[in-house]
Amino acid sequence: MGETGCGKSTLGHSIPRLLPEPPAKVTSGKIVFQGTDLLKIPKWRMPGVRGTGIGMIFQEPINSLNPAYRVGDQIAESVRIRKLRERGIMPALKPDVKGFDYSKRELPKASEVVTGPFIPPNVTQTLKTRGPPMTKEIHQEVLDFLRLVRINDPERIVNLFPHELSGGMRQRIMIAMALSGKPALLIADEPTSALDVTIQAQVLTLMKELMEEVRTSIMFISHDLGVIAEMADDVGVMYAGHMVEFGPVAEIFESPRHPYTKALLRSIPNRYKDEGVLPSLSGSVPNLSKLPVGCTFNPRCPLARDVCRVKPGPPFALLPPGPAGGMHRTACFFPDEVPSMP
Amino acid sequence: MGRSRSDLVVFIAKRLAQLVPVLLGVIVITFFFTHIAVSNPCAIWSGPKASPSTIAACVKNNHFNDSLPVQFYYYLAGLVSGNWGTDPLFHSPVLSVLLTDFPATLELVLAATFLMVFIGIPLGVVAAASNGRIADHLVRIFYLSGWATPTYIAGVVLAIGLGPLLGVSGGDFSTTSSPVPAITHMSVLDAIIALNPGATVDAIVHLILPAVALAFINMGIATRMTRTSMLEILPLEFVKTARMKGLGEFWVLYKHALRNALITTTTVLGVTAGTMVSGTVVIESVFVWPGLGRYAYEAITEYDFAGTIGVVIFFAIVVVAANLIADILYGVLDPRVEWR
Repeated sequence: MGETGCGKSTLGHSIPRLLPEPPAKVTSGKIVFQGTDLLKIPKWRMPGVRGTGIGMIFQEPINSLNPAYRVGDQIAESVRIRKLRERGIMPALKPDVKGFDYSKRELPKASEVVTGPFIPPNVTQTLKTRGPPMTKEIHQEVLDFLRLVRINDPERIVNLFPHELSGGMRQRIMIAMALSGKPALLIADEPTSALDVTIQAQVLTLMKELMEEVRTSIMFISHDLGVIAEMADDVGVMYAGHMVEFGPVAEIFESPRHPYTKALLRSIPNRYKDEGVLPSLSGSVPNLSKLPVGCTFNPRCPLARDVCRVKPGPPFALLPPGPAGGMHRTACFFPDEVPSMP
Repeated sequence: MGRSRSDLVVFIAKRLAQLVPVLLGVIVITFFFTHIAVSNPCAIWSGPKASPSTIAACVKNNHFNDSLPVQFYYYLAGLVSGNWGTDPLFHSPVLSVLLTDFPATLELVLAATFLMVFIGIPLGVVAAASNGRIADHLVRIFYLSGWATPTYIAGVVLAIGLGPLLGVSGGDFSTTSSPVPAITHMSVLDAIIALNPGATVDAIVHLILPAVALAFINMGIATRMTRTSMLEILPLEFVKTARMKGLGEFWVLYKHALRNALITTTTVLGVTAGTMVSGTVVIESVFVWPGLGRYAYEAITEYDFAGTIGVVIFFAIVVVAANLIADILYGVLDPRVEWR
């Protein structure tokens, strides 16, 4: 979570390397997905990771479906890609069985990050399985996935064009399309922000239910603290392009250990009490091309001291485990002072 | 109004009905222009050594002594009854000449359209995909040089520069040498119907240069329009959706982005039909192509009024038809459009 312009979407888009690469550039770090450093894979191989490896739902359902094709065909395309990969006909990223369990407070060491474990396209297999087309099977799966996102009359919906559907319906179809690739990771980039409130609630309930059903890891990007509290197991808080705090949802909301998180949470209105003007943080988000020296939050931070204003900024340090367990990290020099912050 | 088949039929019928006033306007303009510019061409038609009686007979036959509206009435009456006049030199009926020449021009125009669609549009996609990089600049140089070159220069340069390489040098650009029966009057099609592979290759070789010359100028428009609309489409989210399905870049560009970009390009291609048809007048004369364009040139230089008006009528029909096809395709490509 984080406010507008703090780099949430950029982070989400950079994982499947979706940013247009002449302007965008990853200057440092690793993007490790199923044991593979995606930055070490040549760009033309990235499609093998997308769809079946990483799926994505976008913010604007109005623009995220192709206006020229029927929604059924658009979902079918995604199902077909998965089927071809399952049969070894299309190249795909080989899922690494071992993987890394991040909940055990472990990060992969550099030597463990392998590159390019691809299943190459199998030519003999392609020639053998050319027989009958899988269209009927695929059509059946398309209907199944539409039912999965609680669309009651999928036989009618598959023949419609995106412009004939409402925003909520389009977002359901987007979710069905992303899920139909059966991705290991689903990145949902503010999937409800462009919808109106009642539809938002429906889509959120749907996603919450689906999380239990489809067993896919979801990275949910949002600026809505209520939504995050409802949806997440672990929360990462972003400020000015940096991850400033990461931890289990209960710890982040109950005992935040970064001044920014604390200030953010204080701005949630209490619905039973009229407290007058809501507390707000003085100053504004820094220009991302002219970040302050040291900790990026120092100009607005009530705890800021001289150490905060010199390079390098605070490390993204691990805190001793709290009552909820799991990994709690914060990029602050004085995490212990945050609970008593003015 | 909607998108059903009956809507399409009504739409086409309406557009064809609009053809009537268009043709009438075209006929009025060309008729009065030609007849006012040269009020009595009989002396020219009959040649320098003609006797006064021959000229007098010619004037009488063509009603040149009557007032212009009366002459127009005679012409229009003939036009409706299928008598489009005769050519002053050989006295062959204009309509039948037009009908035999038209397929050759259609073949040339279709070949040029083929080049525009299958070379011009992919070049636009390449340029948009490599926006600002070297491939984009190379494509821009290509289409700007096409745009900046007058048709007649492109024609002459190709004829002199590449003609000998293809073995079609000198005045031998016409396909009259092909010994196949003329069924459709389209050289390539006739050769294919006759199942004559040698003649087919020969016909295609003869077709390439005039088609390239004709397509060269309009190719710039197709490429540029495709590039511009692709640049508008590529940042949209459904392109990212297509990428996130795991599709390769080729399918993302050509199946998802180009399909939407084509909506604009199609409309513009319909508009270029006029440029294309007028280009045939020059190209067919340079390459001695036996079509309407060359006929138009000859008719104008010989003061052949009936032939000139006839050609203009055919050209008007081609332009209207091209725009109608573009409008229909527009509706086919964009499911949000209703035919009305």
